[in-house]
Amino acid sequence: MVRHARKGMSAVPLIRRNKIALDLEFLEVHFRKRRALTADSKICTGCRTCELICSLSHEGFVDPERARIFIKSNPLNGSFIPMVCHQCSDAPCYYACPESAIEIEKALGVVNIRGERCTGCRACEKVCPYHVIRFDPERHTAIKCDLCKGDPQCVEWCPVNALGVVEFGKGAS
Amino acid sequence: METGFGWTGKILRVDLTERKSSIESTQTYAERFIGGIGIGLKIFWDEVSPDVGSMDPENRLILAPGPLTGTLAPASGRFELISKSPRSYPKETVTRSGMGGSWGPELKFAGYDALVIQGRSEEWVNLWICDDRVEIRNAKEYVGEDTYSTQIRLRKELDPSAKILCIGPAGENLSRLAVILSDSSFVSGRSGFGAVMGSKNLKAVAVRGTKPLKIFDPDRLIEVSKRVRYLSANNPMREWTTRVLKLEDQKQFVNMYRKKNTACFSCPVPCFAYLDVPDAGESTAHCASYYYYSAATQFYGHTLERDQAVSDSYVWANRLGLDTFEFRQMIRFLGDLYKKGLIKPQKDLPFDKIGSREFIQKLLHLVAKRESIGDILAEGCARTADRINGGWEFCSKYFPAYGAAEHGAIRKYPGVALLWALDSRCPIIDQHPYLRLSESYQTQPQPYTLTLERAKAISNKVFGSDVAIDHTTFSYKPEAIVYAQNRSAVINVLVLCDWVYPIIHSHVAKDRMGDTSLESQLLGAVTGHDLTEKELNEVGERIWNLGRAMMVREGRTRDGDTLHESYFTKRDGEQAISKPDFEQAKTVYYQLRGWDKSRGWPTSRKLHEIGLSDIARDLEKEGISI
Repeated sequence: MVRHARKGMSAVPLIRRNKIALDLEFLEVHFRKRRALTADSKICTGCRTCELICSLSHEGFVDPERARIFIKSNPLNGSFIPMVCHQCSDAPCYYACPESAIEIEKALGVVNIRGERCTGCRACEKVCPYHVIRFDPERHTAIKCDLCKGDPQCVEWCPVNALGVVEFGKGAS
Repeated sequence: METGFGWTGKILRVDLTERKSSIESTQTYAERFIGGIGIGLKIFWDEVSPDVGSMDPENRLILAPGPLTGTLAPASGRFELISKSPRSYPKETVTRSGMGGSWGPELKFAGYDALVIQGRSEEWVNLWICDDRVEIRNAKEYVGEDTYSTQIRLRKELDPSAKILCIGPAGENLSRLAVILSDSSFVSGRSGFGAVMGSKNLKAVAVRGTKPLKIFDPDRLIEVSKRVRYLSANNPMREWTTRVLKLEDQKQFVNMYRKKNTACFSCPVPCFAYLDVPDAGESTAHCASYYYYSAATQFYGHTLERDQAVSDSYVWANRLGLDTFEFRQMIRFLGDLYKKGLIKPQKDLPFDKIGSREFIQKLLHLVAKRESIGDILAEGCARTADRINGGWEFCSKYFPAYGAAEHGAIRKYPGVALLWALDSRCPIIDQHPYLRLSESYQTQPQPYTLTLERAKAISNKVFGSDVAIDHTTFSYKPEAIVYAQNRSAVINVLVLCDWVYPIIHSHVAKDRMGDTSLESQLLGAVTGHDLTEKELNEVGERIWNLGRAMMVREGRTRDGDTLHESYFTKRDGEQAISKPDFEQAKTVYYQLRGWDKSRGWPTSRKLHEIGLSDIARDLEKEGISI
């Protein structure tokens, strides 16, 4: 048992070292090729259809708490701000993950969580500057926007086109 | 029947006298009554005797979303309220009222299909529902606060994303015009339920829900929702606040001050506009918000002062918790009375300045706080007219039946006249589906216009005859309104919005035909409870009969199904409704419904036929032989 624990402890810095070694490559590619959601809070009506379709298409039920996008709203002054994952080029969540459960998908240009590796330590949730990494208490894993494998449903369903996708390699779309 | 999908399976009951809460099962109601007003009316029927007053502790306030509330189904963010209404005139009766926003969905996410509030607390309290936790909290500090600051303070105290229903000073002072308000301007307006909440000493109900809602067939729900959105893509209501408003300068008003359009939960048709007028209030506004517009324009002309007065009129109505529909007619009514010298000039209410900013602010504050003349007006115009000699001569112009403010062209549309006569509240929600087709070929601007031939073809398909949209005659109107009422009941049990459903016609479809089976498809996809359109219409019929049985228990007869006498005579160049035709149409209506035509009561046979044997038995038990 003792030996096993030691092994485990030494394994953590190893992964971190690997990450740093891979840094330059990932950073460069992700910086140039990333794709992310954009949102226009000026026209968002606060209907929250994005939250519903997000949870329905990912989880099979509706639950705004488990949507990868959410509307920060203050209905009394008409402010509805869609909070979306920016797939940050410096990806703080990627670096915060002690289990290497977060990876950068080069082909899609998004930062992804691999649920089977996630232990639910919630480190990524704490460092996310936009608070869009949510926590699924049932499966005990973190969840975040994966751009629906390249076809974001929230963008398709937004009734007023307040949401869009930006492709940094090709300029805004 | 399975209530695991769409429904949450639980009904929460809070007794404010005992300060206790309990859970009941939805199962007993789901199959026959589905949700919304169905569940609400049945609970009310079982528990409250007809002689209970609206402000008595025994009265229930039932807040009921439906199985579709909180799901992806478009325009499904509403919930229904059922209670004894303080507004009904001359007798208080049970009515329904609906509200949009996002409170209903939040209650579903907290795990409840309905909330029943009963009893009366000794001191002012707030109700805080956070998933399984139900707390009755002291609200002494909130007394006298307006609705906006109540919400801000409660969010700070409880949870920043809590959804809140609350009453303003009007509700606290038991004004019959009081509303229950949520967010900026989502209100349960027409039935005076703010006073019911006030009589229970309940200032606010805050809800936070974090539970998932299960969907029976997500793929089918996505598919049907897409179809609904496609067919309603060009819904004129979408730009109600800008394009469809009838007055040109009203449009300018909205366009000048609009910050954005806003919508209810899960709705693709953003029909609210958030308006910000300089040096006046900010709030979302809707058609009912512009009630002071013409009076203010008359007083100020087209100036900034006018816009500030209009803005004040709806912002203060929201903050104090008052119903703008009633005030729209009340201002005209007061103007008439003042001109004829039937009310004396008041020290604190400048009647010679009707239309000014000062007048509307003072009027709203006096009514909400029940000070001086406001104490009488807070009882509603109908009850005010009773106290003034000759008051009804003017009041009847604006209040056609049961003390409800006129809405819709009653003299112009025979169908609307029938709807008014046969309901227990202003039947605005039933007349929308019925009138939309007529309005789209008559009054609506491009691109929402239909040709008469197309409108006739659609009318043939939906109502069964093209006479339904011929508004010069009463013939075929009973058939059309039976359909409209049943469909309206369907919408109110699911619960959906009457501005989108039923989709009778669509401006994007090639032949302009809509699809009226979409509600049943949505119900099937969400709950697995597969009903055909016809079966769902039968549910609507059942709900309507239950509502009628409720009226019968409260003493409604055929004689009560009428409009104020003045509607049957000519007035101010407007045509009169023909009384014999009207009575004849009523007889046809009762026959179509399978009711007794001399009393207008459902027959025992009819009730058995549509699965309401228990209701028939209860009526017999109470000595009402149907």
